[in-house]
Amino acid sequence: MTTYIIRRILLLVPTLVGITLLTFLLIRLAPGNAAMLKGGGENGGRAMTAEQRMATIKLYGLDKPWYLAYGDWVGRICRLDLGESWKDHRSVTTKIEERLPVTMSIAGTALVLSYLLAIPLGVIAAIKRGQVLDRSISFIVFILYSIPSFVAALLLILFVAGGDYLNLLPMYGINSINASEMGTLPWLWDRILHMILPVICLTYASLASISRYTRVSMLETLGQDFVRTARAKGLPERLVILRHALRNALIPIITIFALELPVLIGGAIIIESIFTLPGMGNLMFESLEYRDNPVIMGITVLAACVTLFSYLAADILYVLVDPRISYE
Amino acid sequence: MNSAVPTSETYVQRTWRHFYADSFARNGLRIVIVLFIVAALAPFLANSHALIRVADAQWSFPIFHSLQPIEWRFLFYVPLAGVIYLCRNQFFARPGRSILYLAALIVLIEIFIGFTHPINDTSNDRDRPASFKLMPMIPYSPIESTPDSFSPPSWKHLCGTDSTGRDIAARMLHGARTSLSIGFVAQSIALTIGVAIGGLAGYYRGWIDIGTCRFIEIMDCFPPLLLILVAISLFDSDKGNNMFYIMAVIGLTSWTGVARLVRGEFLRLSALPFTLAAKAVGASDGRIILRHLLPNSLGPILVAGTFGVASAILIESSLSFLGFGMQAPTPSWGDILSDARRYIDFAWWLAFFPGLAILITIMSYNFMGEGLRDAVDPRLKVK
Repeated sequence: MTTYIIRRILLLVPTLVGITLLTFLLIRLAPGNAAMLKGGGENGGRAMTAEQRMATIKLYGLDKPWYLAYGDWVGRICRLDLGESWKDHRSVTTKIEERLPVTMSIAGTALVLSYLLAIPLGVIAAIKRGQVLDRSISFIVFILYSIPSFVAALLLILFVAGGDYLNLLPMYGINSINASEMGTLPWLWDRILHMILPVICLTYASLASISRYTRVSMLETLGQDFVRTARAKGLPERLVILRHALRNALIPIITIFALELPVLIGGAIIIESIFTLPGMGNLMFESLEYRDNPVIMGITVLAACVTLFSYLAADILYVLVDPRISYE
Repeated sequence: MNSAVPTSETYVQRTWRHFYADSFARNGLRIVIVLFIVAALAPFLANSHALIRVADAQWSFPIFHSLQPIEWRFLFYVPLAGVIYLCRNQFFARPGRSILYLAALIVLIEIFIGFTHPINDTSNDRDRPASFKLMPMIPYSPIESTPDSFSPPSWKHLCGTDSTGRDIAARMLHGARTSLSIGFVAQSIALTIGVAIGGLAGYYRGWIDIGTCRFIEIMDCFPPLLLILVAISLFDSDKGNNMFYIMAVIGLTSWTGVARLVRGEFLRLSALPFTLAAKAVGASDGRIILRHLLPNSLGPILVAGTFGVASAILIESSLSFLGFGMQAPTPSWGDILSDARRYIDFAWWLAFFPGLAILITIMSYNFMGEGLRDAVDPRLKVK
């Protein structure tokens, strides 16, 4: 197994090279750069100073052949130096570091919550296969799956967060304006209130897909011989399901988080910009609007690497959890 | 009648029967067809120009003078889809050749449309005197501002108006064509690329396969929405409002799923005896791929394509919502929603109607995909 894991990790190298190369080529090929540098510089309406131009040339090695420039750029990424933001001249790494906790707490809560809700739903649907309960769960899950997150966010804001209807939850931000004056507990409560809507918007779509996977996986497991054996030896149905079927059905479910991650990152851009949360997604959105290329590229590489490592984690986890899989 | 006797039902007929028996899939298909008809006829349903106007004993049809290139496009493609449906037997009998003809026809239509020019005509016929005039159902153009802004839904404005007094119902009808055509074309691009790349990898195996798989893996590491946003913001400065640019970007970034699928199918099919038999009688690679492998993997490709259209529509509306897709004045559902965001306190109709439209469209496509998947599933053949 160790050989498998080592081989799997070694396979990361070409993919990492591919990711960085692709991102780098996107920057090099982008017509904006050349035009901006040549024309004495317009950067989305904002003039580019000579010093900024030099920094850009240096950052992406625009004065060198692409392979040398690529080498330099990758070397700097490895040292976590992503350059300076065009907007406020702060280091991109610092900017990302500031924003990361918010996104991680929201996306993490959403992921955990969707697993916690989706697995029981999927199991119930599988047990009651074909019955009214199964059909209604499947139908509701299907509708949830089809609602775009920003539509849900807008409607939730409209109906429960201010406006002409219920005013239960705050609409914008991660904390109230006077949060710094609060004690620890009120602060935490305030934070939780602010997180409810964004977390709901990020949760329900993953919840839908995870519960569908759970249902299918559970149905497959329930049809297997060892479940019949467990029933035949007289185990109560509850134990058959919880101890025998569910444990085996969960194996493929665990690894789904890797598939959900890119979706969550994409969702975070939209959700954070709607709720104006100071997270990575919002940073990305702001940078896209400002054409702040160093930040855009930094976040893109980071998101791709996170996804890549989550795929790796999923693969390794899969092998660890299921001893039947051969490592060849 | 013929329950015991094996019938001569073809694969397509059987798939269709299973598909049609599923009420969700059937209704999904109906809704999509209605949406396409509405989108095609949008200028005749919501327009500030009269359908027929009689003044000074002279008949005129002002609506035809106000047609934009995109409207011609819809007027061509929707009947084309109808013709394909009517001739479906001939079409599916020789899929390779039919697709070739279809591609040629599409090129011709696009060349014609390339010669038409957008018309900037903001006049309206609502108040113009005439002895007789027949106005469309919704007598407003999607880009036309009226004096009453933020009017809630009423008989005058069925879905209300936005900040500049544009009629939401008219914008939604015209926005349907943006969403539907971007979804459809983007997914067609993705399918073409995916089938080509996945097919080559699955058929030739070896180094081509390894290289392709690596590349797909790299592409899959980028969250789709992120990659599309970056591509749009880096490569376009004025092209943001170009529909084809958005279609191309969505298509170029979402082919990996199809490629994986086709590769798997081709790997499986090319190991089966019928491929060997085809090789034994001396069929060329191209013939085996186009006439034997491709038709046999058409089912799963179609399923992936249907789900893909749903996600392409979702991506398009997200882009417009974030302000990176189609922008005002071009009507699109996502754009109305991004307007709604600013006035969310009171203007519920700005969020509700386009949201509902997106939801219904995506759901119909998903239901269709679901039904299609059950219908092409070989396990059903036992029944």
